[in-house]
Amino acid sequence: MVFNSYTFILFFAVILVLHNLPFSWKVKKINLLLASYLFYALWNPPFILLLWLSTVVDFYMARLISVEQRPRNRKLLLTVSLVLNLGMLSYFKYGGFLLENFTALLSAMGIVFHAVKPDIILPIGISFYTFVTLSYTLDVYRRKFAPEPSFLNFALFVTYFPHLVAGPIVRPEDLIPQFKTPRRATGQQLSWGLFLLSLGLFMKVTIADGLLAASADLIFGLPFPVQPLDAWMGVLAFSGQIFCDFGGYSTCAIGVSLCLGFELPDNFRYPYAAIGFSDFWRRWHITLSTWLRDYLYIPLGGNRHGTVRTYINLMITMLLGGLWHGASWTFVVWGALHGLFLCIERFWRDRSAQRRAIRAEAMVDGSMLNRAAIIPPIHVSSPLAQFGLAMLTLLLVNITWVFFRAPTFGGATLLLLSMFGVIPNGAPMLTNLAILTVSSITIGIIVCHWLMRDSSLLAFSKRLPWWGLSLGWSSLLILVILTQKSSGSFIYFQF
Amino acid sequence: MNTTNYSKTGWLTVVLVLTFVIGWERYWRHENYVLSYNDDESLWSSKRKQVYQSSHSRPVLIGSSRIKFDLDLATWERITGEKPIQLSMPGTSPRPFLTDLGNDPNFKGTLLIDVTEPLFFTPTGSFPEQEAIKRVKAYPNWSLSQQISFQINHVLEANFVFLDDLNLALGPLLTHLPIPNRLGTWGGPTFPYEFGFNQFDRQTKMWPAFVADTNLQRQVKNEWVNIGSHSPKEAIAGPPLEEIFKETRQSVNQIRARGGKVVFIRTPSDGPMRDIENKMFPRAAYWDRLLSYTNTPGIHAADYPALSRFTCPEWSHLTPKDAVFFTQDLLPVIEQKMGWSLQRNPSVSTFRTPSSTL
Repeated sequence: MVFNSYTFILFFAVILVLHNLPFSWKVKKINLLLASYLFYALWNPPFILLLWLSTVVDFYMARLISVEQRPRNRKLLLTVSLVLNLGMLSYFKYGGFLLENFTALLSAMGIVFHAVKPDIILPIGISFYTFVTLSYTLDVYRRKFAPEPSFLNFALFVTYFPHLVAGPIVRPEDLIPQFKTPRRATGQQLSWGLFLLSLGLFMKVTIADGLLAASADLIFGLPFPVQPLDAWMGVLAFSGQIFCDFGGYSTCAIGVSLCLGFELPDNFRYPYAAIGFSDFWRRWHITLSTWLRDYLYIPLGGNRHGTVRTYINLMITMLLGGLWHGASWTFVVWGALHGLFLCIERFWRDRSAQRRAIRAEAMVDGSMLNRAAIIPPIHVSSPLAQFGLAMLTLLLVNITWVFFRAPTFGGATLLLLSMFGVIPNGAPMLTNLAILTVSSITIGIIVCHWLMRDSSLLAFSKRLPWWGLSLGWSSLLILVILTQKSSGSFIYFQF
Repeated sequence: MNTTNYSKTGWLTVVLVLTFVIGWERYWRHENYVLSYNDDESLWSSKRKQVYQSSHSRPVLIGSSRIKFDLDLATWERITGEKPIQLSMPGTSPRPFLTDLGNDPNFKGTLLIDVTEPLFFTPTGSFPEQEAIKRVKAYPNWSLSQQISFQINHVLEANFVFLDDLNLALGPLLTHLPIPNRLGTWGGPTFPYEFGFNQFDRQTKMWPAFVADTNLQRQVKNEWVNIGSHSPKEAIAGPPLEEIFKETRQSVNQIRARGGKVVFIRTPSDGPMRDIENKMFPRAAYWDRLLSYTNTPGIHAADYPALSRFTCPEWSHLTPKDAVFFTQDLLPVIEQKMGWSLQRNPSVSTFRTPSSTL
């Protein structure tokens, strides 16, 4: 079930009513759990078995791990959980990819091998709920989180429908404590939750599906080169589409959950105003980047084992982060580029810090030569320089999106060559209306992200008069109704 | 912000949105807008699901827009007692549908394939196949959730004219802004609203205003010219054409091997449209070859006086009134050609003069 469907509106209305009836807290939680299974099963019922398997195994493994004192046995129990979760993920998500690469490898070695193409359907949300259950087992293993005694609370933590299929990726401490005591949304939470749901739907339905998808699909689907303007507009259209699609899902999820009285963690914080790539990953898909940081980068050693190891760890984290998005080498390249940019940024920062330290010493010595410079130095802290760096970051992020969206390396190369005018005489493809739409939305997103980068929507709404907020809210809903598309799937469902 | 203000905000929002929706609906009703169902993946899937109940009197129709306009489903039902299953898609080649039905081991019914040469004879995977491919791919993944949404949508679309996705959604509305096209680009055809509306059975009909207004008809003729100027100047030939024949024969044979029946139909076209079609797709090389290569019967409107006497107001499709006559006249032709008995009550299909020739 997707948030942008009539089925969900009906489903959610029933859930809201049930959650506000005078049932016991346990009954309400059972309602939510059953509703979550229904939410999932209405897409493809058999895959609910995987969800159950993951829930049951991780619940009992975590209990055994917590009581087991012998390190070796604890590791063994953890391995069972990891093998099950990662095994399921690998089979369903990477089975075809591994076989394809194995065949290619044999072929390169001169061995002819014709593998039967596996007909594997990716269970929706498996990447998300696998990470959710893994974080629980790992936290219990590290004794960071005590195992949850209530199976109901744990099952609800894994399956809670707002985050189940496309995040935010919750941690045990985010949600399990909230299930311990009765919760019901206050009037303020309900209103704000509904507002967030409307905003998320506006981002998904109106902006991503209604106004940007066609231009992005057209440009990324062409087998021939296009003019640089068209190529850039196609990439910018996808850039806006992917943000509004996934950011829209997260906003809906947070809003829906808030209507029930539960808070989910933020997943996006104005990423297109990021200054640098480390800032970008603090703002984009926050729950994934923090997951990778805590369960992969830090266990690899983080930045504790010298500069070279830090760069290697960064690259490994981002490569796997890329692979998490999909079983394709284009995603690996996307992750590699992000890793590379993070390494360059780290290198540049370290060097700048060293230079500053040297300059500070020189100032003390009175031998500062740059006092005589004709051109004043650019202060990186000035708003203009900050904005320039944000735009540079966005430019590079957009280049990485080419690999994320292009179906093949050939397609990505063709588009990049078109973007930079390397191939002359590319075809003009986008109409003036499409260019106007994409550029207006891109500018709108950048302005909005830049103005809001150190603020929050809630803080902004508090500065508005109540009727002003209402006018904005009504406009969002009217545009959603006007756009009409009611069942487009979210891009992140395929991951 | 305190709770009271949130409450006020929420209620004002409800009032504003409801006011807009009511006003918007009233505006389009005032403009005499005709109720139309969205011809989306769900509506198509709902018909695709029915193909296993197909019979001679309830054939599955695949093709392009012509068979959606020209074959009147209600008339067919009135005469035979059963309504055909309409799977055709405007602007698309029916070949992906044919491949899909050919590969479906459970389809053993009767298939009528509308052949609009510029769309039927297009390379595999080319643009005119895209919408058809999208639907074929969507059907196996038509989830329970989507099916429930479809039922709710049905109720809403049956009551609100503004829910016409084809013409009144934000995207189509923006295309009516006075923004000139960029040199060398084309945003696709923009037909007047009145050209057609879609019924729940996927019948397409021209608005009465369209039938009466030659200016609107001229707009559509201009769009055909526009489409022609953006289409390949040469018809497909050589090995790619052979491949089309081969693929078609394979699918037809698959269906026939399971006991199914297949008939090709060529509906009328007019004016410069027909001239270009005849010139680019000479009958002997395309239509006749298709029938002989696939060893399949076909009904070409030009071969039957009863079917060739119609005028298409915009060169390509019949008016709703003529669609009734065309359907009445087509049934005896099919019966004669195929040796089927389709008419439950033959007296209702008496010959009448088409309105366009009055």
